[in-house]
Amino acid sequence: MSHRGIDRDDDDDDYMDDEQVADFEEEEDRRGRGGRKRRRSGFIDDDAEEVDEDEEEEDDDDEDFDARGGRRRQYKKVSASNFFDEEAVVDSDEEEEEEEGEDDFIVEGGADLPEEDDGRRMRNRRMLPHHQEDHEDLEAVARSIQERYGRRLTDYDEETTDVEQQALLPSVRDPKLWMVKCAIGHERETAVCLMQKYINRPSEFQIRSAIALDHLKNYIYVEADKEAHVREACKGLRNIFGQKITLVPIREMTDVLSVESKAIDLARDTWVRMKIGTYKGDLAKVVDVDNVRQRVTVKLIPRIDLQALANKLEGREVVKKKAFVPPPRFMNVDEARELHIRVEHRRDAYGERFDAIGGMMFKDGFLYKTVSIKSISAQNIKPSFDELEKFRKPGESGDGDVASLSTLFANRKKGHFMKGDAIIVVKGDLKNLKGKVEKVDEDNVHIRPEMEGLPKTIAVNEKELCKYFEPGNHVKVVSGAQEGATGMVVKVEQHVLILISDTTKEHIRVFADDVVESSEVTTGVTRIGDYELRDLVLLDNMSFGVIIRVESEAFHVLKGIPDRHEVVLVKLREIKCKIDKKISVQDRFKNTVSSKDVVRIVDGSSKGKQGPVEHIYRGVLFIFDRHHLEHAGFICAKAQSCVVVGGSRSSGDRNGDAYSRFPTLRSPSRIPPSPRRFPRGGPMDSGGRHRGGRGHDGLAGTTVKVRQGPYKGYRGRVIDDKGASVRVELESQMKVVTVDRNHISDNVAITPYRDTSRYGMGSETPMHPSRTPLHPYMTPMRDPGATPIHDGMRTPMRDRAWNPYTPMSPPRDNWEDGNPGSWGASPQYQPGSPPSRPYEAPTPGAGWASTPGGNYSEAGTPRDSSAYANAPSPYLPSTPGGQPMTPSSASYLPGTPGGQPMTPGTGGMDMMSPVLGGDNEGPWFIPDILVNVHRAGDESVGVIREVLPDGSYKVALGSSGNGETITALPNEMEAVVPRKSDKIKIMGGVLRGATGKLIGVDGTDGIVKVDDTLDVKILDLVLLAKLAQS
Amino acid sequence: MAIAPAQIPTSFGHELRACLRCRLVKTYDQFRESGCENCQFFKMEEDHERVVECTTPNFNGIISVMDPTRSWAARWLRIAKFAPGVYTLAVSEALPEEMQAICEDERVQYMPPKRL
Repeated sequence: MSHRGIDRDDDDDDYMDDEQVADFEEEEDRRGRGGRKRRRSGFIDDDAEEVDEDEEEEDDDDEDFDARGGRRRQYKKVSASNFFDEEAVVDSDEEEEEEEGEDDFIVEGGADLPEEDDGRRMRNRRMLPHHQEDHEDLEAVARSIQERYGRRLTDYDEETTDVEQQALLPSVRDPKLWMVKCAIGHERETAVCLMQKYINRPSEFQIRSAIALDHLKNYIYVEADKEAHVREACKGLRNIFGQKITLVPIREMTDVLSVESKAIDLARDTWVRMKIGTYKGDLAKVVDVDNVRQRVTVKLIPRIDLQALANKLEGREVVKKKAFVPPPRFMNVDEARELHIRVEHRRDAYGERFDAIGGMMFKDGFLYKTVSIKSISAQNIKPSFDELEKFRKPGESGDGDVASLSTLFANRKKGHFMKGDAIIVVKGDLKNLKGKVEKVDEDNVHIRPEMEGLPKTIAVNEKELCKYFEPGNHVKVVSGAQEGATGMVVKVEQHVLILISDTTKEHIRVFADDVVESSEVTTGVTRIGDYELRDLVLLDNMSFGVIIRVESEAFHVLKGIPDRHEVVLVKLREIKCKIDKKISVQDRFKNTVSSKDVVRIVDGSSKGKQGPVEHIYRGVLFIFDRHHLEHAGFICAKAQSCVVVGGSRSSGDRNGDAYSRFPTLRSPSRIPPSPRRFPRGGPMDSGGRHRGGRGHDGLAGTTVKVRQGPYKGYRGRVIDDKGASVRVELESQMKVVTVDRNHISDNVAITPYRDTSRYGMGSETPMHPSRTPLHPYMTPMRDPGATPIHDGMRTPMRDRAWNPYTPMSPPRDNWEDGNPGSWGASPQYQPGSPPSRPYEAPTPGAGWASTPGGNYSEAGTPRDSSAYANAPSPYLPSTPGGQPMTPSSASYLPGTPGGQPMTPGTGGMDMMSPVLGGDNEGPWFIPDILVNVHRAGDESVGVIREVLPDGSYKVALGSSGNGETITALPNEMEAVVPRKSDKIKIMGGVLRGATGKLIGVDGTDGIVKVDDTLDVKILDLVLLAKLAQS
Repeated sequence: MAIAPAQIPTSFGHELRACLRCRLVKTYDQFRESGCENCQFFKMEEDHERVVECTTPNFNGIISVMDPTRSWAARWLRIAKFAPGVYTLAVSEALPEEMQAICEDERVQYMPPKRL
């Protein structure tokens, strides 16, 4: 056996010893190699070195040594003493040993030879392959020692490492570390050169080691006792220049050597991310690992600009746009061919077929790229669901999923499973077995299977398990992009769950791993920074949208592009600001729409949807339709394609809107005389200003305006005075809020609204018109041309609605005339109409109470002073379907916010309006016109003779009214459309009631020569009815 | 003169590999031709597959140990009893089971790298 063999043996021996009780046996190494003499000297050397460190222990050691020496041959003595010297450093063990046996040495000897219960450590000198004859006896001794003490010492061994390592901390006696500057990039080389230099001339060399760290460029460390030694060693090395040598402080020495051994588990199917280049940050899947060359082949979604590639391949100049990174897209070979890119078929080493394009390999659209291991990062890769989705080509079976599962599982945190979790086995023999977690060990999870006949608990590796949920479970997402959301599982696709989010009612796809069962209903994250779910925000490029979903780091924003439904994912910083304006816009029919108004979309892709307006911006409405399942219920539509739905009935909180919805009511303000005349601008103002509640009163019962705070601008009635705060019933919101007393001002309310109090139901007042809109609502449609005129007509009415006494006068006069036909002239007297006091006297309630039912019959003769009450009467007959009269009195009861009371008024006023009754067909019929009566399948012509109070009509059948007289409802009749040259009667507009002659027809307009004035008017044909020949 | 030093790597590039047991660093070819000086029992020179099994290219930092017995760094790194030579500070992989079994048979201790 060669010398070498011997060396090795000894080496092994030493190694064992060392490993057993850490590395205290350097000298044994030497001894082995150098023969006994050397050993001895080595020992002495070492001993000498250790003395200082272990001074306190020395006595003990010596004793031990003696004891051992007595028993053993020199060799053993040496080794034992070595051991003890070293051991002394580990003081904690010393005591233990003393307790254990009288002979420390033997104990330690045992330590050298541990038991087989930890197989790796077990060793037996006897079994060493290259056994040395002359050591045989020693081996025997060692064996016996091992047999005696081995077992105990394994335990001891368990904890050695940490303790030992502490014992190895550098002391002042140890060589020092020096930092030496070297050529950048040549750190390793320098260290190796130093080694080589030492081998060549060992005698001159006094440095102990040289260290080159991968993460430290430009420097190496040299271990030596003296700086001079370092200089000496570095002399002549071409990579070491500069004279600067820095001493590493003792306490930092260990830091130099503690490098984290990053475990790189690069296996096939591992998800990795690219660290550099075009694909930086992209997810990739490892398909092959070449550890020898440190290369991996990964599969990526290519980012290739085919056109640019084609240009390049054809030798054309490629414009280098650095900033542009092509979006990831699967390679389509056919497309490439169309661009005359040459696609070859190649097979790789495994015989797999690839499409090769200019040195790049593609398969199934994926790019297969071989890169250096260093250019990918495999640590903590958490592919998001979207990424994985993209990565999975259609047609790829679930197997791929399981493969990716394993990767996902690798990223699981500790404590992923908890007792009680429902799980399913996804791998191995027990695949698809369901159960509950009973206990969790390090790697194994003990599960209680659901199936009969199986052991009570089974230990399964956690990598074979997946959390299991069933549709209907309510869960909470605990990690990933959706973190924090809760929802109900509606579908389970392997390890992917589809939830209906509690917040957005949208489907979310999450990994089963990312959720836990929970009954908690959270809104998830609903806020990042200043922005919250449902906020309207301005995005960077001047586009805007509503936040419809909040994820952990980004918002989903439904952009304000009508009919596009474009949802973008934006980061917090991409949002410019929140738009929090109270804007109102006009809908299709020029009705003002403010937020919270219910609108219906009448145009575009979302036609038919309906809901309250959440936000308004630049003519775009964001409507929240809770029946709309996409985009968290938000629909974006142009204001122009929406119409306001009469929401007053249900909410009553939008008198302002009602106004706006009632263009004819609003417009009068343009006519100077009527509203302006009255100093109490309140109603007018409010009309113009839309919503703001208008009310009255001081405190408790008074109406105030809120000056500050969230309700700034609102008005309401104080219903409770609580000292520092007051409770105000907002008129526009139908709710009671508490407002700081300092935030209200009551004077505003009181002065202008002095009159309104006369209503006796201040808060109801605004409601009145709310009803009305329904009717005039249609006005523009029917009679667009006439609108301005209507407005004129409307004025008094609208005013009256607010201030019953004032506006009433003109109409009353008018009505007293009992001549509907004269309505056309009404604007004339409006200006002059005095703010008639008389109206102040009767409370509106009283006025209304005065038997509205009977009024019509006494049209021209008001029974009591309340013209208000009487005013409408002449016209009442024409109100449709009996609707107005009945509710009128009742609805005037205080506290009924419905606004019904106005109806009769409106009805009355609307006599002129063709639209009275709104959607009812022909509610505006007037006597003497020719109508077609449809009834139970039979149709006949008749002449209206009289308008009955209940809204029906007395109709004399026959074209000249000669036949029997019947009573017909407006919806059973239809005015006979006049032809050219027919005598007509005008049913609507300012000229209502006037007769004339149709002298021409132009589309839907009729050209009418009015009998009275001989004026020629152009009127909508709808407003014209053929006059019965009398 | 102490123990004969191990072979010194002939290059500093990617062909360097580290023995998974003793962390000796040499080139792939050196391991193939003469095995690992500290771990002869792996017999890498006889079975080239073993080189791949017992060594790794994934290691972190190197240390040239001239005088293992008197070097604090070597002691700290627990390579003090190995032959002088170039070692790595840390390897990231564990020895394959099979090789660990060999260590067992050879009665040499093997400590898998600690995972952080």
